Amino acid sequence: MTALLTIILSFIGALVCGLMPSSAYRRIRWIALLFASTGLAVSMVCYFNYSGGEFADLVKADWIPSLGIGFITGYDGISLPLLLVTGLVAVCGVLFSWTLETRANQFYAFYFTLIGGVYGVFLSLDLFLLFVFYEIAVVPKYFLIAIWGGARRQFAAMKLVLYSFGGSALVLLGMLAVFFLAQDASGEALKTFNLLKLQQGEVPAEAQQWIFPLIFVGFAIMAGMWPFHTWAPTGHVAAPTAASMLLAGVVMKLGAYGCLRVAVGLLPAGAQDWALWVAVVAIINIVYGALVALKQDDFKYVIGYSSVSHMGFVLLGIATLNLTGMTGAVLQMFSHGVIGALLFALVGTVIYSRTKTRMLDELHRLIDRMPGIAWVFIVAGLASMGLPGFSGFISELYVLIGTWESESLSGWIVGGAGLGILLTFGYTLVKIHEAFFRERKTSDPGDAEISYPAMTLPEKIGVAILLGSALIIGLCPWLLTDKISPSLELMLKRFPLN
Amino acid sequence: MDYQQLLLALLPDLLVVVALFAALGVDYSRLRGSRLAKRYEVACQISATGLIAGLALLVLQIAGTIPVMESTADGQLVLNTGTLTLKALLYAMGLGVLPLAKRDQITPQVSEYFALLLLATLGMGFVVTSRNLLGAFVALELVSLSLYAMTVLNQARRASAEAALKYLTFGAVSSGFLLFGLSYLYGATEQLDLTQMTGLQHSPMLVLAYLLIFVGLGFKLALAPFHLWAPDVYQNAPTPVAGWIGSGSKIAAAALLIALLQPVSDAPKLKEALIPALAALAVLSMVVGNLGALRQTNLKRLLAYSAIANAGYLLVGVVAFSAAGNTSVIFYILVYSLASLGAFGVVAVLTDTLGRDAEINDFNGCWKTTPVLAVAFLVFVLSLAGIPPLAGFLGKFYLFFAAIEAAPEASSWHDGFYWLVAFALIMSVVSLYYYLRVLKAFLVAPSDDGKASSIAPIKIGWAAGVTLCLLAIAVLALGLWPEPLLKLLSDLPPPGQALDLAQLI
Repeated sequence: MTALLTIILSFIGALVCGLMPSSAYRRIRWIALLFASTGLAVSMVCYFNYSGGEFADLVKADWIPSLGIGFITGYDGISLPLLLVTGLVAVCGVLFSWTLETRANQFYAFYFTLIGGVYGVFLSLDLFLLFVFYEIAVVPKYFLIAIWGGARRQFAAMKLVLYSFGGSALVLLGMLAVFFLAQDASGEALKTFNLLKLQQGEVPAEAQQWIFPLIFVGFAIMAGMWPFHTWAPTGHVAAPTAASMLLAGVVMKLGAYGCLRVAVGLLPAGAQDWALWVAVVAIINIVYGALVALKQDDFKYVIGYSSVSHMGFVLLGIATLNLTGMTGAVLQMFSHGVIGALLFALVGTVIYSRTKTRMLDELHRLIDRMPGIAWVFIVAGLASMGLPGFSGFISELYVLIGTWESESLSGWIVGGAGLGILLTFGYTLVKIHEAFFRERKTSDPGDAEISYPAMTLPEKIGVAILLGSALIIGLCPWLLTDKISPSLELMLKRFPLN
Repeated sequence: MDYQQLLLALLPDLLVVVALFAALGVDYSRLRGSRLAKRYEVACQISATGLIAGLALLVLQIAGTIPVMESTADGQLVLNTGTLTLKALLYAMGLGVLPLAKRDQITPQVSEYFALLLLATLGMGFVVTSRNLLGAFVALELVSLSLYAMTVLNQARRASAEAALKYLTFGAVSSGFLLFGLSYLYGATEQLDLTQMTGLQHSPMLVLAYLLIFVGLGFKLALAPFHLWAPDVYQNAPTPVAGWIGSGSKIAAAALLIALLQPVSDAPKLKEALIPALAALAVLSMVVGNLGALRQTNLKRLLAYSAIANAGYLLVGVVAFSAAGNTSVIFYILVYSLASLGAFGVVAVLTDTLGRDAEINDFNGCWKTTPVLAVAFLVFVLSLAGIPPLAGFLGKFYLFFAAIEAAPEASSWHDGFYWLVAFALIMSVVSLYYYLRVLKAFLVAPSDDGKASSIAPIKIGWAAGVTLCLLAIAVLALGLWPEPLLKLLSDLPPPGQALDLAQLI
């Protein structure tokens, strides 16, 4: 029951915030912080209570028995890091929206509905329930972006929602096929959405051939898979800071989690057949995302495309279909969750609220004018690039080693990933230079010497939480890998060839 | 014993008829010359009393406290849990229309307005409980005629008269088709009783009969290409009437379609011949409805196109020809109707002081002026769009579930109904665009302060408020906990228990 509290608390939080008058934004943000941190605390409790690879904290109840649907929740080592990252990002999202006043009650109502949906996806052990939470997480994003977003917000919000629902349409079709085609060992049709039972059974191999791409692509659209990634940069850029933190930090992980848990977990034979294609697309994600990031003038677009690039590593890790690579994928989900959210927070709120511009060519030697913030960003940028000592390094290393070891992937895939890493170095360093060290070309002496105020307390706390977790996991990766690997091992045991 | 049983079975309907005449009588005699508001008030109260009493009896009948016969001779009445539940829900929804009708006092013919509403409700109740070709047809005509008359009640508007005329002509032609089809069906089976029609053989005459029936019911359900009346009627009929056309009459028509197709389910060859026609209607309706809705600026017109699209989804469940398919169709049309009635209700409440057709932009800033209505509208529209955890999602899911269940083992893409479900899913994604456009006006856009066009803060009135709240709660509750209703609806009549009315008399 403990884990279920995260979902319940989030929805109660949405209700409470929604019912407050919008003029009480000061009280609302404290209430929001309270609910978000309780959610984080519950995920921490789950983390410390968890041991071993099996599902823990199972809650089982009938929901719609006439359709084979149950209410089943629980978590294992794969969902655990994602619960943690959801809690972390939710808390920091509130901290970085501390100054929000307009329609604050509605903002947090949508915000917590989204978070409740996300927790729900990570905890669901029934396909139908998972799908329901997945969709619950989509709709609030529309309103968060369309109401509180920046330029071109209507377009970005609509695009994001249509892409998401396009993806879930594919998933729904695949899900129904799994329901009717899955059999137990004796060839009897299972007719259940219960993931635990479906994992025991099997879908006929020839059906997996066509169901796997449906479900995988459906989920991967939300993970920012090329060529369906275009919702991500526009959505991230138009979204208000808290929403883009959630989008990059958590929502893209929903897609990746679905790919791993449902597509690979239930359709191993299909996954083996399609692994190479997934890896190729993942490489395109990494390289293409990095190249496009290199060409961007808008700081937030740089981060947006870097997210696409980093999610490529997650997809690549999943495509390896071995323990090392998949552990790397889950670790990368956590790592990009905290670092991506941090970068969006820094660019979208901390820097933008001071400079009033995100265009790189309008920034002028910020390293002198906001030294503290600049150094924080540089550290975060290097963490994102894969600096040893931070979680990004470990996770990408795992993915690369996994790719090298993988039987289904050939050596040039590793080469592609290596190229991607080089490009990541390239754009990170170039953009850090452009943003912080470069002198503005059209020199306008007017405000060039003004230095900006330092970070506020909520911003400092937020940065400390996110950067701190990236550092902790970077230094002690076993804190997570010890939980992730046993669960993945159980999943891999069901693979026909291994 | 015999008459007493018949009386017990029909007591709910009888009470509604009494209320109908009471409303007319009081309005003609005692209230002659009274204020319009007073007359609306009284007529609404009398009608509501009748429907509530009828509803209470129906609930007792479902619970078994009042024993009712399972069915009468020739399937004139089939009263099992499923049909009685449907009838009760229709009465409840009819009850919900009353306060909306009371609010917009568009016509001086007060008692006629309410009498027609009650007549339509009564007819719907008979359509869903009748399994006799003639009985069902007559009941359906009762519904249609009442709706034609109500469409034209607002004499101040020329467009209203035009829409009513369109509705009447299209409707009359469609009834002709339906009757023609029913007569062929009778000719081929020599049966009027649908429950007795078993072992149908594939014959050109039967195929023709069903094609004609599809045309006839296609008009009532607003399936493309028989949808042409719908946008005009939805836009120009008084809003509560449009809401009732878009909900109650759809339930009746869908229930009749299911009842008429019941004998086909165990005739494989006939089924195979009919499925392409149904699938074509489904695809066409989804395309016409969803693409048509994209360009609409008038909210009621948009809802009309959404109704066309939803009728298309409905057929996805029909082609399954299974018990699950039938239950899914009835469940879907119910939850669709709840949401559609709710959406029309919100529009009615918000625009009855506007004095002209409401464009989508007129609702800008609704979140600020009337937040409760905006939230209710959010619930209704998201349910229409099929977003969980609202009932519309579960309804759609169940339709697709039933369609796939009919033939899950697919060796190629056109085997089974995977392609049809995929198409419906793609179209639902398209539909999201226009649903979100509407919600954008309600929840996102800032209010145009000072502009004459924007909706002024208005008094909702307790009856309409309670109705809309209950509808929203029902939409949410049926999404979260559909099992009880699914159980009630899937109750099929136990065979061989038909009471012979002729013997009784």
